[in-house]
Amino acid sequence: MSDLLELEVKGLDFYYQNTIQALKNINLPIFQNKVTALIGPSGCGKTTLLRCFNRMHDLYPKNVYKGEIFFRGKNILSKDIDMIELRSRIGMVFQKPTPFPMSIFDNVAYGLKLRGIKDRDEMYQFVKTALIEAALWDEVEDKLNASAYDLSGGQQQRLVIARALAVDPEVLLFDEPTSALDPISTAKIEELAVTLKENITIIIVTHNMQQAARISDWTGFMMLGDLIEFDTTEKMFTNPEKKLTQDYITGRFG
Amino acid sequence: MNNSKIRKINNIIALVISSFTALLGLFWLVFILGDVIIHGFSAINLDLFIHDPAPPGVDQGGLRNAFIGQLLITLVGIIVGVPLGILGATFLAEYARGTLISQIISIASDIMVSVPSIVIGTFVYAIMVKPMGHFSGWAGALTLAIIMLPVVIRTTENMLNLVSWTLREAAFALGAPYYKVIFQVVYRGAATGILTGILLSVARVAGETAPLLFTSFNNTFFSVNMNQPISSLTVSVFQYAMGPYEIWHKQAWAASLIITITILLITILGRFIVKRRYGK
Repeated sequence: MSDLLELEVKGLDFYYQNTIQALKNINLPIFQNKVTALIGPSGCGKTTLLRCFNRMHDLYPKNVYKGEIFFRGKNILSKDIDMIELRSRIGMVFQKPTPFPMSIFDNVAYGLKLRGIKDRDEMYQFVKTALIEAALWDEVEDKLNASAYDLSGGQQQRLVIARALAVDPEVLLFDEPTSALDPISTAKIEELAVTLKENITIIIVTHNMQQAARISDWTGFMMLGDLIEFDTTEKMFTNPEKKLTQDYITGRFG
Repeated sequence: MNNSKIRKINNIIALVISSFTALLGLFWLVFILGDVIIHGFSAINLDLFIHDPAPPGVDQGGLRNAFIGQLLITLVGIIVGVPLGILGATFLAEYARGTLISQIISIASDIMVSVPSIVIGTFVYAIMVKPMGHFSGWAGALTLAIIMLPVVIRTTENMLNLVSWTLREAAFALGAPYYKVIFQVVYRGAATGILTGILLSVARVAGETAPLLFTSFNNTFFSVNMNQPISSLTVSVFQYAMGPYEIWHKQAWAASLIITITILLITILGRFIVKRRYGK
């Protein structure tokens, strides 16, 4: 494997409320321009792990990280990390679509404005590019000033992806992005993920085993806060090392 | 008698009782409103708006001073009370969310909503009118602001809490600092609710009389000096209704009707906004 490392998790422990241990000694590489899927039963810690990458846990008091996550050589769990910069380089898409209560254009422009872009034409170009990348441009081209709430759920999710893409991130975190969507919208998001990895690295948490198999290059299986097994998706779904992994993937529990 | 017959009879009894009480309640409402409308309409004329009160016993004059005074006191009250209320609620719902202090202030606000307004009037009398040595428009405005405060705080806090956390997280995930998340995303999400709360609080203070008696008092002359006693519609109604002259009674009716219609319009506007936003 000649893949380049994008992120590297080393000996990561995570505690909620300073006491409840949700991640136990996680060691995991994330490769550049690949889709990495995190799977496992509910409460296994996969979303907790995902939210470590953009330090989302910092929003709530008393959450404690121990260990390191290296992002292009720099430990993002260190105290002196600029959160605004980190979060613009590592974007996130949530389970439910989260359009802001503003127009479609302003939604995509939001991150750009945070970064101080003021020029109207420049802004328009960025917004357009992001919407094209998110495969939404054709559907919203003539109603950019309409409320984002007028879009369907699947369109909203792609809008949110466009919003994250607009600031040109290196990594995108997907937290079960299709669990609230219909099959057609799901297929579009999946296609999108595969296209996007040409430019960015994707980490996706999913409950849907087929989804992990369809779109990911690498898969990590987690249970009760432990990373049980991590390997190429092909290996994980055909010939996993651990029996636990096999049992989960074949649907014997979950 | 079998069960179904008993049920039918019980049903009829309940229906009769509840209909009767509903009618009784409505009767007084219609009675009061009808009285105000009948007496008020006949007394409204242009003089009311363009003239100041005439000397007692003279059958002329209007309430221009009271309209302007009321408007001034209420406006200043809004300017003071609304931003304080919204920022206070922001502290409670955002920065101090879930903490003990936030819960205590919320409960205190709930109690404040139902404190009789005259208590607030006497409070402002003690802290402002007494030390200054005279009644003033400022004192009246401050009183109204204090009365509005808990209403604005509670409605705003509730509306901010209704904005989902995922929405805030989404803004954080783009790198926004907390104050930008609040001002650019959360406020927008809660805008209609907050606006409704403001309108309701304005409706609440528009009809206040007792606390103004202790603070802005009254002024028979036209005045826009907030540092002096200033006239208001509600206090004028109180004084004119108690007065001996027929023309005063008429003007009191007219002022009552105008206050009532204003509050009605504000309330309808509030409901209309809510309906347009959440109805569909």
